[in-house]
Amino acid sequence: MKEVVVISGKGGTGKTSISASFAYLEGSNAVIADCDVDAANMHILLNADFEKQEDFFSGELALIDEEKCTNCGKCKEVCRFDAIDLKDGQYVVDKISCEGCWYCSRVCPSDAITMVKQKAGDLFVSNIKNNSTMVHAKLGFAAENSGKLVAKVKQEAKIFALKNDKEFIITDGSPGIGCPVISSLSGANLVVLVTEATVSGLHDLKRVIKLLKTFSLQAVCIINKYDLNTKMSKIIEEYLDTEGIRVIAKLHYDEMFTRALTEAKPIVEYSAQSELSGLIRESWNEIKNIIRSKK
Amino acid sequence: MKIVFTAKGDSWDSQIDERFGRMDMLVLFDEGSNSLEAIKIDTENMEHGAGLQTAQKVLAFHPDVIITGNGAGNKALDILKRSSVKMYIGAGGMSLKEAYEAYKNGKLNLQF
Repeated sequence: MKEVVVISGKGGTGKTSISASFAYLEGSNAVIADCDVDAANMHILLNADFEKQEDFFSGELALIDEEKCTNCGKCKEVCRFDAIDLKDGQYVVDKISCEGCWYCSRVCPSDAITMVKQKAGDLFVSNIKNNSTMVHAKLGFAAENSGKLVAKVKQEAKIFALKNDKEFIITDGSPGIGCPVISSLSGANLVVLVTEATVSGLHDLKRVIKLLKTFSLQAVCIINKYDLNTKMSKIIEEYLDTEGIRVIAKLHYDEMFTRALTEAKPIVEYSAQSELSGLIRESWNEIKNIIRSKK
Repeated sequence: MKIVFTAKGDSWDSQIDERFGRMDMLVLFDEGSNSLEAIKIDTENMEHGAGLQTAQKVLAFHPDVIITGNGAGNKALDILKRSSVKMYIGAGGMSLKEAYEAYKNGKLNLQF
């Protein structure tokens, strides 16, 4: 079982469109892990059925026991997040503002504040298009993605892949370089970077490559929308060359990307015969070759 | 010499966990007393900053060497580098036994 992690640094480069296409192409030989939990949308493209659901707990919220509370106001004084307010003579916690830091609970002289584990969202295992399986999550309001949640999604995907003898896990990571991204990279056999020919595309690509180096991870790159700015595309290619990262495909700008999205289809399903789909198919085959040739 | 392995299980036959911050199991081998001990450090419940928290927990065992897969991230490295521990990477896909032999034969890379 080998894991391919698709990340981008910058958001909006086409990462999810491309990983959904890989998922569609590989079908039942792969399990998909959608770790871009802040903006999970892959389930739409792959028509997930949300077959299995599990609660996901993360973080804690302060809860004031009004019987024990003497309304001394010490909790409000120490709260750095302005999460405690006096309402009708009683101090209450605003659930959205509370960060679960425990400070109020520590200082409360009458032990009236307990910390309660919070349900942050739901974890799903779904059947998707092409007889494949996907592990994904949905966050509740004001809940944030975390390395913990990503690790959980990946763990479920791994267990499923091992149990059902799947060759690949295709992981759609989130943008940025923070905790969820680091967590999504762990254990990756190959990283696929999806960038675009823009200034911010390059800027964020550099940050994410710096991160990859820390973990000695092998990567290849797909430059999407390269013809929007061929000069910038050239600069990106030269930069990748100095970093020893191979460009496995350059995709031209095509409104088909958007048309496929509006029909909730991966590009390779929407227009299998197009040049773009051909390039994506070749990329996926190349990725598989690289992974299979590693011991 | 005390060696910490990041592991997916608790024995010499267990696989190395490539992850440092979110390792499944910390396995401590003391060459002096030839004892192998597995410790669960509850990494799955760390929301953020798993690398930092795990680094602290690992250092509490005062290891001389850490053997892992991908290596630690930048923040964990900041902490680990303040101690005298040496970190060897590239043991992903090996069992603990194989990783120990690879280390002994100088086949693992030093991260720092």
